[in-house]
Amino acid sequence: MKKASISSIISTALLCFVFWLLITGELAALIKGEPSVQVLAAGAVVSILVACFSARFFIHERAFYLLNPKRFFTLLFYAVIIFPIELIKANLDVAFRALNPKLPIKPGIVKVPVDLKSEYAQSMLANSITLTPGTITVDMAEEDGQLNYYIHWIDVKSQEPKEAGDAIKGTLENWVRRIWE
Amino acid sequence: MRIAIDILIGISVFFAFAGTVGLLRMPDAFSRMQSSTNIATMGVLGVIIGGVLYAIFILHDSAMAIKLAAMGVFYIITNPIAGHAIAKGAYKHGVRPKDPMCVDKYGEDLVDE
Amino acid sequence: MSELLFFAICFIVMALCLLIRVIIGPSVADRAVAADSIDLLADMALILFALYSGRSVFIDIAFITAILGFIGSTIVARYLEGKL
Repeated sequence: MKKASISSIISTALLCFVFWLLITGELAALIKGEPSVQVLAAGAVVSILVACFSARFFIHERAFYLLNPKRFFTLLFYAVIIFPIELIKANLDVAFRALNPKLPIKPGIVKVPVDLKSEYAQSMLANSITLTPGTITVDMAEEDGQLNYYIHWIDVKSQEPKEAGDAIKGTLENWVRRIWE
Repeated sequence: MRIAIDILIGISVFFAFAGTVGLLRMPDAFSRMQSSTNIATMGVLGVIIGGVLYAIFILHDSAMAIKLAAMGVFYIITNPIAGHAIAKGAYKHGVRPKDPMCVDKYGEDLVDE
Repeated sequence: MSELLFFAICFIVMALCLLIRVIIGPSVADRAVAADSIDLLADMALILFALYSGRSVFIDIAFITAILGFIGSTIVARYLEGKL
């Protein structure tokens, strides 16, 4: 287990504090200009305490990476425009497959090579693939220095790793690389 | 605005219905997980976006809208983690489809280790 | 106003249909996935009821249910993997 550095504790505390603002409804009060000092102080204390205990599980490398505005807006663009388009296409596909009386599915687990270095980028790509209906990342393993995802696919179009990778990942991998590397 | 909100929530109901039918009809455990992702993405997002619009434009309650948006972000972050964990756990536990899958690279590589 | 309640009732009916999968599901994974989906659908119904009645308490309840459902399914997955 790695030890938590100061910067990772600070960034985890920031994240916890933003979450606290969101779910207590304090952000709306801040916008109106009547924040309650007690709520803010309690949130700060709780988020710093939580960050001390849990920072080493969250942040392993480069804690303030996302505070660069260019990367942050790329992430926002990915989350608001690029990813939802893929999501809606895959959703329609799986929904009509399920409603079709003949049930045209052909499930299988394929192996897909991935060229991403950063841990954040790997987990973000895996989560994006899992969130798209029709594909679930079952496991990831390294073999001869090449990272592979094992992906359960509801309609196997190709068993070759390269072609399957192109069909599943599409443009997502390039966007994730642009965000994190 | 009312009509737009109703259309969004109606889309969400349609996808949730498709996911439910898929969950009841699919032949094996992993395919059922795919259908449950259908509920967890569009089924949730339609209601969340429609709800945010409703809270802003009809109820005029910005605290409620912010809380709903935070909830949507929470769903989007946690759902793939749970789905991935259940898929891996089920495979390790020995859940296999009744008809063999057309390709199973993970099983082949797991035997080697 | 009342179409929100109609949609909420649709979600609840779908959740009740999923109980069939919880009862007959041949493996533990099926039951866990179906229970997770029931959790989500009940959340959606709660959100719609919160919008209908204009009280945000129900959104808090839905939030807590979502967090508990996530923790529950992750723990079931841990158990299936044999690491618990």
